[in-house]
This record gives sequence, structure tokens and C-alpha cells, in this order.
Amino acid sequence: MMLLVLKRALWAIPVLWAVASITFLLVRIVPGGPFDAEKNLPPEIVANIKAKYHLDKSVPEQYVLYLGRLAHGDLGVSYKYVNRTVNDILADALPVSIQLGALALAIAVIVGIPLGTLAAVRRGTTVDFAAIALSTVGISVPSFLIGALLIYIFGIWLKVLPVALWESMHHMILPALTLSFLPTAYVARLTRASVLEVLQKDWVRTARSKGLSSFHTVVKHVLRNSLIPVVTILGPLTAILITGSFTVEYIYAIPGMGRFFITAVINRDYDLIMATSLVFALILIISNTIVDIAYTYLDPRIKVKA
Amino acid sequence: MSNLLLKMRVKLAFVKLFVAVVVALFLSACSLTRTGPEKDTLRMNLGAEPPSLDWVVTTDSTSFDVVSNLMVGLTRYTDKLACRPACASSWEVLEAGKRYVFHLRPDIKWSDGKQLVAADFVYAWRRMLNPATAAQYAYFLYPIENAFEYNTGKLKDPSQVGVRAIDDLTLEVRLKRPAAYFIYLTAFCTSLPQRQDVVERFGDRWTEPGQIVTNGAFVLKEWQHEYKIVLAANPLYFDGEPAVKKIKMFMVAEPATAFALYENDELDYVDNRSFSTSDVERCRNSPQYHNTALLRNNYIGFNVTKAPFTDSRVRRAVSMAVDRNIFAKILRRGERPADCWIPPSLAGYSASSGAGYDPELARKLLAEAGFPGGKRFPVVGLLYPNREDTRLVVESIQDQLKRNLNVKIDLINQEWKVYLETLHRDPPPLYRSSWGADYPDPETFMNLFTSHNGNNSTRWSNQIYDQLIEQAEAEQNPTVRAKLYEQADTLLCRQEAPIACTYLSTQNLMVKPWVHGMAFNALDMQFFEDIYIGDQPPPSWQRRPSHKLSTPGAVPHHRPGLPATGASRS
Repeated sequence: MMLLVLKRALWAIPVLWAVASITFLLVRIVPGGPFDAEKNLPPEIVANIKAKYHLDKSVPEQYVLYLGRLAHGDLGVSYKYVNRTVNDILADALPVSIQLGALALAIAVIVGIPLGTLAAVRRGTTVDFAAIALSTVGISVPSFLIGALLIYIFGIWLKVLPVALWESMHHMILPALTLSFLPTAYVARLTRASVLEVLQKDWVRTARSKGLSSFHTVVKHVLRNSLIPVVTILGPLTAILITGSFTVEYIYAIPGMGRFFITAVINRDYDLIMATSLVFALILIISNTIVDIAYTYLDPRIKVKA
Repeated sequence: MSNLLLKMRVKLAFVKLFVAVVVALFLSACSLTRTGPEKDTLRMNLGAEPPSLDWVVTTDSTSFDVVSNLMVGLTRYTDKLACRPACASSWEVLEAGKRYVFHLRPDIKWSDGKQLVAADFVYAWRRMLNPATAAQYAYFLYPIENAFEYNTGKLKDPSQVGVRAIDDLTLEVRLKRPAAYFIYLTAFCTSLPQRQDVVERFGDRWTEPGQIVTNGAFVLKEWQHEYKIVLAANPLYFDGEPAVKKIKMFMVAEPATAFALYENDELDYVDNRSFSTSDVERCRNSPQYHNTALLRNNYIGFNVTKAPFTDSRVRRAVSMAVDRNIFAKILRRGERPADCWIPPSLAGYSASSGAGYDPELARKLLAEAGFPGGKRFPVVGLLYPNREDTRLVVESIQDQLKRNLNVKIDLINQEWKVYLETLHRDPPPLYRSSWGADYPDPETFMNLFTSHNGNNSTRWSNQIYDQLIEQAEAEQNPTVRAKLYEQADTLLCRQEAPIACTYLSTQNLMVKPWVHGMAFNALDMQFFEDIYIGDQPPPSWQRRPSHKLSTPGAVPHHRPGLPATGASRS
């Protein structure tokens, strides 16, 4: 186990280097720079700014400087938020996104797995159709629409929940529900398909014929064997959810990290763009490692090669 | 049987979960309190995170909205955008407008109790001009002697910059040449003082709460980045502690969300940042609705180095073929039609400076230029940034030119930064742009189209225009100065037409009835020190009368008994 974690950690270094390098190159290819503004600056001022941020150096020199800083854990400076480093920005925003993402993930798992199981067990009934309809809506309706609907129903019409902002536990309910819609639907659909497949296995019939109650058969045996595909998707899903959602954070005015995936690009905030990519890659690596470890617990036959 | 039992158990588990969620929702809802006003607190929406609260390096209106309530400069604006004394109780304009001497009030304190001194201005201005600071707005101080030289590294000694503290309460500023608009710069965020000890002690983080030291009506109490800023009334403020004790500035980027918060009484006022066009339509007749014309003019620029716009007759024809009244109808935010570059509220404005709407004359001019009935007119591109309102504007212009001149133009849409780069590198024959005033003087608009200005994407260069602007900048007599600007505006919009002005932008606001004393100005600067929150203001509360002074172009308060050797505006 420790060997697996260690090897993954070592592999993470070239992966992160590749992500940093590709992003570094891409952001400099895109037309428009961080200091292009409605009011064109005099060339003398532009020269001062470029000197301050080392943008007057050649691209290879900038690359070497950037990697040097990165090796020391310094993600750079923001060209937009001039008094804050990228480390400061992420330290403020990432915990908020993790909080919201974890809540949405919990809802997705707590609601999605039982919903999918129930649909599979009661295949072809109204419950099944309702579950399929719900998951189809969850997958196909975009989150900004779901968010707007929830705001209208609970915030404006019923006035039982806050419309937006991030002040208390109440303020987390609507954004967490909005963010959880899509993953809940995915998890439910995947669970249903997987449970249906496992229910056809001979050993399920054997277990039932030996007198094991159906509840125990499903919950203790069928579900455990059905969870492998669900757990597989939970890796990337976790990375997506806890690094924040631009749409949900935007419509609910949540100070998370998701917005930076878009605004950093719009502002050509080079270091911030690269930092968001790196953080996402790192969290994805960690999530996938945890998923690999989880496989061995769910099915002892699985041996993950270190 | 067991299958049925299983189904029932699973169903029961699901029902339990559902009930738990519903109960949780209900319990949380029960503890919510719906409020109207929050006591002595103004809640507003900034729309975005201020990039910085360091007024030496910041350049954007969001940051200025906060800084304007934290700081006060040598002068400040009235609601009508005239300059009035603030840190400076009086000033003298000497040597034909080349030298200013400001006399500071002795009772102005920083929020940590220290007295404000002239050296605080000297430090801030030198810091802004220091090349290492890389301040984008450093060029606002270029009218000062040696400011350009120091900022560009040609001069290493900051003491040679034309600003010095004669004593703690006297500040002297020497200009390169007379600049009649200079007094307005002393109210702008780029000219505010700073405390050297605080900036040097905390470095880049000096603007964080608990570290920042300010001298305005409010102090920075809390700053949750990307979410909320809280200001508290400053008990040491020289003009008296404001009636409103707290200002909560949220950063809600989505207008629909912000407007929903307003409708739910969770915000006390909203402006364009929180106002969709449909909301404007819906609320236009509400007593809470206000609309103010801004000092932001929108225009179509012609690249005069590209055919067919090398010919001024073609440019004039296009300008005259555009009916400006249509923009308010399609944009629906109360836009004011504008066919000249100086807005009506500024000196130098004349209704006759503009091109006017005259399709008949436009067709005649086009024929004279060699394109009778639009024949042989090349298909040219009109560049615009990727925004809904600009798309509506350029589509309307495209349609009007087709109908009035039988001229076909292509619309080219680019992402904002790409658009800016194109405009600065290789402007297309036509482009859509706008310009907002930094201070309430025609110079801020008119300088844009001088030959040397880096923002002049028309590439138009006219010696007479340049001379008129140079003369107007130095002219101390307001009547003569206004006349010079009027002449230049006529040359720009009616005779040479490197631009076709279209409309003035507006600010749309909704203010709750319990907010008293909210004032709006054309610079879109928001000052909250005179606001009162409550059903009925007490008899002791009243807006300070000094805040309601005259119109732009009024100004300076000269110290009695001290003759100004140069002409001054009065």
C-alpha cells in the first residue's frame, strides 16, 4: 500500500511538470495579454510593468524562472489582483470549494446509490421509471437552470432559503443541491446498471436459495460487487466537485475556486491559470490513487500494481 | 415473500432519507429571518473583487468604489462634480497655472490617530511614479515637472519631481506647463496620500484589514476576498462620523442573483452591475428606480489610414447616416443620444458640434466621394467586442448604413482581450468603442484623439486639433477654454469625423425607500458618508450642504488675502 502511494507520488512529479509546461505554452500563444485594457497604457508604463513581472524576458527565460519558483512551492503572482499571490488566492478559495464539493459529493453518494439500487431492484416499476426520469433530468438540465429554478422556488417564492451568498449553513443548501444534481444522476444510473448486472449472477440465486434474506443479499453482497464502476467514477467526480464549479459559484456568489478556471483565462492571469490547472491535476491524481486503494477493499481479488 | 420484505425495507430507508432531508430543510428555514433594513448598515453589490485597494496601483472602478469611501484627497467632488476643499482647506494657483500651493487642514487624522501631513502626499506621488511600483495610472501625474522623466528611469532622484512639502501643512506642486484640469486630478484616486511607515512595514499586504490606514469617512473592517468587504464608520473623520455605521459590499457577479437579493431585501441598492435589461424594463416606473447619464461616450471609430475612410466625406456620410435615437430603444437602459464627443454636462459642449442625422446629405457626400448610391463601396469590417449590448449596437448600424447609404459592412466579433489587441496593433476600417471620463473635465475626452495619444486607434492626426487641445489645456480662463474645446469638438465630429459618436451610457439604480441621502453623479462614483438608513431620518440628520455645490467648472477656493499670480478658474 505504502509502495503504491509512494510510486504514485513520484509519478505525480512528471505529470505535474507536463501540465505546467503545456499550460505555460498555451497561455502565451493565446492573443491578448494581462495588461491589455480599454485604456491603452503608454509604452513607458508598459515597460515598467513588464520589468516588474519579468515579462520583458524571453519566453524560455520566463519558463525557467517559473519552474524555479514552482519547485519552491511558489505558484507566482496574480496580474489582476496585484496585492495577492496565487498561493494567497488559492488558500482563500480552495477550502470553500472543498466544503461545497464535499457536500455535493455526499449528497450524490447518499442519494444516488440508494436511488440506483432501488430502481434496479424494482426494475420496470413506477419507482424505476421515476428514478430514470430523475437521473435523465439531472444529466441533461444544465446547472445554471437548476440553480435558477431552486432560487426561484425556495428563495423567492417560498422564501424558506437564502437566494445566494455564503454566510451560514443555510446558505450551503441550495448551492450544494444544485451542484449535486449531475453527479447524483450519474451515480444513480451507474449503480442501477451495475446492480442489475450483478443481480443476474448465479451466486445471487445461490445465496437466495440458501435462505439468505434478499435485503442482506442486496445490501451486503450485490451492492458491494456493484460499486466498482461507481467508485471508479468517484475519482474524477471528486476532483471536479472539490475544485469548484464556475456556474454554481457564480450564480450563488460563492467565493470558491471554480470561477478562476474561467476568469483567470479571461484576464490572461498567467500564473493563476497555471495554478488552477496544477491544482486540478494534483487533486485528480490523489483521487485516483484513493480509488485504486478502495478497489482492493471492495474486491480482495483486485491487486493494484504498485 | 423475502423479496417483498426487501423492497419494503429499501423503500423505508429511502423514505427515511427523504424525510430527513425535508426536516433539515424545514428546520433551517424556520431559523431564517426575513429583514427589511439592517440597522445603520448599507448593503450593496460591488459585482466583483476589487483587484487592489492600494490606490497607487489600482485602475478599475470597482476598487475606486471602495477607495473613494476609505480615503479623501486634497479636494473632492460634490454631487454635481465640482471640486471642493477636502484635505486642502485652500490653494493658490501661481505662475500662470504652473505652480499650485495647497494648504492642508490641521485637523485631519489618519485612522490610527496620526495627523495627515504634506509629506504623505509627496510619498504617495513619488511611489506612484517610481518605475519599480509599475503603477499603470502613473501617467496621470505626468503633468508634474520631471514626473515623466522619473517614471521612465531617465531621472533617478525622486526629489527632483515637482512635488514637495514646504512644511507639514503646505504642499507645493510644480507643473511642466499649465494644465487647467489639474485641480480635478487632486480629487482622483491617483492623487491620494499614503503613509510611508505603513506601506513599508507590511509590504504588499498593507491593504488588508488591521493593517491599512486611511483618512476617509470609513475604515476597512473586513475583507473576505471574492466575497465581501465591510467598512465601518470612521470616528476620526474630519467631517464628522457618518450616520451609516457599516457598509457591506458583496461581490455578486451574476446580475439576476443580485437583483433577487435586492427584491428579497438583502441588498439596499443595486446598479447596472445587478440590473438586467428586463429588470430595468420591469422597474422603470417604480419610485425606487433612478437613471443617470454617465460621462461615458460610445462611438464608431474609422481607421483613417484604410480606404475608403481616408476620405473625410465618406466618414461624415457614415456618421450622418446613423440615427442616434434608436440606441435607447434597442438597449433599453435610457441611453442618451450623442453625436458629439463632449457630453452635455461638460464645458465645451455645443449641440451644433455634432454630425447630426441627415441621410440625404450623407448620400450626397458619399456620391461626391465616388460612391453614388453606395456603388463600388467596398465591404468593410466593423470590429466589436463580444458583448450583447455592443452586438445590438453594431447590428443596428449595419442595418442603418444598408438602408440609408446602400453600403454593406461585415461585423467582426472578438473576445475582449483579443479585440483590444487587434485595436492596438492593427485597427480595422471600422470599430466600436467607448470612453469613460476619469475626471469631470473635457480634457479627459478630447485628449484621446490627439496625434500622440496611444488610445487613438483611428490613426487620425490633425495639427489644428492638436494645437486647439494644447491651448485649451493651458488656458486658465474657463470661457475661452470652453470655446477652444467647442471648436475642437466641431472639427472632430462634424468636419473631419474620424469618429461617429453614438450614445452616452447611463447608470440604472434601484434604491430601497429606507435609504436616505443617496446621491448619483455622472462619474459613477459612489460616496456613502451622507447616507441615513431608517424609515424616517431624525431632524438632526441632513446632507451636508457643502456636498451639493454647483456644476463642473465652478471650483477653486482661494485663500483670502493671498493673491493668485496666475489666472485661475473661478
